[in-house]
Amino acid sequence: MTDVELMLYGLVVGAIFGFVLQRGRFCMNSAFRDILVMKEYTLLKAVALAILVQMIGFHLMATMGWISLNPKPLLWGAMIVGGFIFGIGMVLAAGCASGTTYRVGEGMVGSFVALLGLMIGAVVTKVGALAWLAADLKSGIFKTITTGDLGVDPGPLLKEGSTSLTLANIFDLDPWIFVAIIAVVILAALVWKRGGEETKVEGTLSERIFKKGWNWWVTGIAIGIIGMITFWTFKNYALGISGGWFGFLNALITGELHRLSPEMLNWFTFLVIGVVGGAAIAAVIAGEFKLRAPDARRLLQQFVGGLLMGIGAIIGTACNIGHILSGIPQLSLGSMLGGAFIILGCWVTAYIMFMRG
Amino acid sequence: MSSDTKPTEVLDVRGEVCPYPDVKTQKKVKSMKSGEILEVLVDYPLSAERIPRSMEKSGHEVLKVDKKGTSDWSILIKVK
Repeated sequence: MTDVELMLYGLVVGAIFGFVLQRGRFCMNSAFRDILVMKEYTLLKAVALAILVQMIGFHLMATMGWISLNPKPLLWGAMIVGGFIFGIGMVLAAGCASGTTYRVGEGMVGSFVALLGLMIGAVVTKVGALAWLAADLKSGIFKTITTGDLGVDPGPLLKEGSTSLTLANIFDLDPWIFVAIIAVVILAALVWKRGGEETKVEGTLSERIFKKGWNWWVTGIAIGIIGMITFWTFKNYALGISGGWFGFLNALITGELHRLSPEMLNWFTFLVIGVVGGAAIAAVIAGEFKLRAPDARRLLQQFVGGLLMGIGAIIGTACNIGHILSGIPQLSLGSMLGGAFIILGCWVTAYIMFMRG
Repeated sequence: MSSDTKPTEVLDVRGEVCPYPDVKTQKKVKSMKSGEILEVLVDYPLSAERIPRSMEKSGHEVLKVDKKGTSDWSILIKVK
């Protein structure tokens, strides 16, 4: 693909992704926080279904030879610390990386302020004053644990040369065994938690698509399919958000549009711009676009939350999308660890902010 | 508006971010008496869908969800 094709492709896929995020209110901060604070499982079910669709989809495409899986390495120290910081940040920011991005498209000024914080935090941690912290947490005793360290074979379906540990290769078993086990567990959980909390969506088909919030299962399947199409076309990885915003601000500051790998910069940066645009289109059609802002105290809280998300995403090598949505379906142990600490950080902060007293 | 749906109290959470509209609604409902009616004004789409759902789950009666304008809802809740 040429640069121009990659940019256009990023914008178009991003716009579709943003449209679905806005219609489905797909936010992982809400998904994980609400099971604790409100005993609400609707968004969590959408997340679980999207993971399920992608896990089967990615492994199917890899088995067919269309893609090679590219799970993140087990950078355990960075993923624990970065994930936890990110989890704290998303509660303060009132939205995860993807939730914050789509709400900018709805005209929520607080999310825009959080996004500025995220970009600044990311640039400072990747190439600025905090770069030492990210580097220290990836070296010395925090060095990556590879397949070679444990003397196991990377196994089938992985990108050539990958030494990343997965749930499959650490046990020296076929990945499909774990895909099947996790699929059964997710399906059983969805059946167990069925009914009761769905939005009753009525009206004509066009009203249900453009005017009302989507049912969780429509959102979950749609996001799963977008992730599969992304991986299939882009080959290197599935969806990501925080890397794109880092690239955006970094390119503006340095003027070097190809400072990193040019493909990554173009692709993810134009993807996130597309997400804002797609979410704005969805919100305008639904009559949900409005410029609005909380009070000064809340804006400051969201900015600090954004900063922590940016710092955490760069230290931990991914945000909630890169780890939970794209990494766990590839059975990456690193993404499972990072994802677990994102959720832990979210729960600890949500407990302190909303449940004490 | 007929007299039986006239709100006893109004909670305006417009401008608030996730999940404050929901948390403040829950707190408000807890402070009210059975049979009283709360009107919640909200402009955050996710909460406009989630508040009626969670109120019904806790046994309160959702009398009406009215989309009054662009990203602007009024939710009428009868406290159990």
